[in-house]
Amino acid sequence: MVDPVDRTRRIRARRRMRAADAMVALVWSSVAAAVALWLGYGGLNTVSNLGTALTAAGIVTGLVGTDLILVMLVLAARIPAIDRVVGQDTAMAFHRRLGKPALYLILAHGALLTVGYAMADGSNVVTETISLFQGPDMALAYLGLGLLIAVVVTSVVAVRRRFSYEAWHLIHLLSYAAVLVALPHQLSAGGVLADGSVQRVYWIGLYVLAFGAIAVFRFAVPALRSARHGIRVAGVEQVAPGVVSIHLTGRDLDRLQTAGGQYAIWRFWTGSTWWHAHPISFSAVPTASSARLTVRDLGSGSAAISRVRPGTRVSIEGPYGVFTEAHRVAPKLAVVAAGIGITPIRSMLEHSTLRPGEATVLLRGSDPSQSYLWNEVGTLRSMRGNAIFSMLGPRPHGLATWMSVEALAHGVTIGTVFPDLLNSDLYVCGPQSWADLVIRDARAAGLPEDQIHVERFDW
Amino acid sequence: MRARALALSILSSAAVLTVGWQLGTQGQTSTAPDAAAPTTADSVTSDPTATATSRGGSTPSAAATPAPAPTATNGSVSAAAAASDGASGTFTGTSVQTRFGAVQVQVTVANGSITDVTALQLTDKDQRSVSISNRAAPVLRQEVLAAQSANVQGVSGATYTSDAYLSSLQSALDQAGL
Repeated sequence: MVDPVDRTRRIRARRRMRAADAMVALVWSSVAAAVALWLGYGGLNTVSNLGTALTAAGIVTGLVGTDLILVMLVLAARIPAIDRVVGQDTAMAFHRRLGKPALYLILAHGALLTVGYAMADGSNVVTETISLFQGPDMALAYLGLGLLIAVVVTSVVAVRRRFSYEAWHLIHLLSYAAVLVALPHQLSAGGVLADGSVQRVYWIGLYVLAFGAIAVFRFAVPALRSARHGIRVAGVEQVAPGVVSIHLTGRDLDRLQTAGGQYAIWRFWTGSTWWHAHPISFSAVPTASSARLTVRDLGSGSAAISRVRPGTRVSIEGPYGVFTEAHRVAPKLAVVAAGIGITPIRSMLEHSTLRPGEATVLLRGSDPSQSYLWNEVGTLRSMRGNAIFSMLGPRPHGLATWMSVEALAHGVTIGTVFPDLLNSDLYVCGPQSWADLVIRDARAAGLPEDQIHVERFDW
Repeated sequence: MRARALALSILSSAAVLTVGWQLGTQGQTSTAPDAAAPTTADSVTSDPTATATSRGGSTPSAAATPAPAPTATNGSVSAAAAASDGASGTFTGTSVQTRFGAVQVQVTVANGSITDVTALQLTDKDQRSVSISNRAAPVLRQEVLAAQSANVQGVSGATYTSDAYLSSLQSALDQAGL
């Protein structure tokens, strides 16, 4: 009894896996290509002693490090194909993991070349650094290195917490400058990328690809989309203390092809909010003329947008996200939402076609004020014949659990809430540390990774 | 990383690296930049002096080995070195290897005096070296023509190029008996 829905899901999941594997292979091939540029130049023949070996290593680390930085730019460009396959959050997790290795490679590039040249010249490192600095475009290259260090250091978790998001983001934008000012010395001082070589064409192509992707998907497409749909605030409705639903109007909003569970990055054009874009989930699937977001004032920025006036112009970047029905792989559905995490859950369920008995939904709040949108979930057409449980009450102190004191006392576990868990897709959305505990329990119960879907609200 | 992604990465990376390596080794032997190659079978017989670092095509053949290569280029060899005093002809100096590439000069002598110095090859490892070479070569030529010997001051900021240039020149002058 092969269920047709189930079969389509499996095929789609396989296709996504293949695409994801191909993307991973593409990344590593680009690293190999960076080394191949040097090999093709005849780099191996330049190695004859320790000095030339260090020089060669310096060239290769520079090529690979820069390649990784360009890969990071591509990952941060929010390319729809990447978002659809692995999700932007996975892409950004990979982006973050590449940051430090890329910096270390670039630092090694500078250090190895300086030492290698110094050994060949029979001079010392200081003299060599001074003479390198005087080379063409080298001052710019050192500037790029300085900027890169600033960008990576401010992104190390411990340091990043000291900055506001805006300050950090502004520093992070310097990475574009860092990569660009490093280009002249690569082309003028680098033998591998010499004028007229295939290597030079490929390398410039990489730069065009990375910066082109950013220009198109982070600037051009959002600008065009915002102009096309002419989105404005229709009204702001308080649904709970500190929680508002923002109703939007616009042209052809259904043409955004938003899937339930997705989010977009919104910018509200008022004097105090225009400079900050917010990722906010749709709390309902958009119609042709309207859309709805629900947001909790977690930061000063969110508090300001809860006060936007009707008529305020809004620009959109997105929709993004893989917290959708399209990414399901299993026949059953298990859903856990807490607090503001209800927003993508609600629109995901709204957009899903569910059979009776297919889904089990657990709504979690520490007190009744957090039960906003819960009644809407109950009235969704897709929820007919499907179970909805609620779990109210605070978590016990000093115990790592996502459940309430009361539920724990009654012996509730993830297995008792979702008896068919291993045969289900688990969708989790809520505060980060809470969601991690749900996932921990799910993994402990033996749920495979591809059946775990989580939407994270963090930057 | 999943096994398939890993396998795919290894395979494609290996393929890319192999292609690069092949191009690198090919470029070392097969480029025959000398336009006026006298023999037809030149490309088949891999003569050891024709090892060239091919790139850009801005400079002609670069002898990667510092082996003395006073071989005939373009047929105008030091054939006319007859009389002891009034030597005449064209003499090619040895190729001198530096960190920034090989340097080789050719000197034209008429009746025992240096009438011209041509750089067959100059330091060209990267753009920086090329620009340094282009700056230094005319200065060195002028100095040599004025001094009528290799005993001239080098060009500052182009120490490698100068030293190699003058040492290649000296070997050419030795051949000429000057």
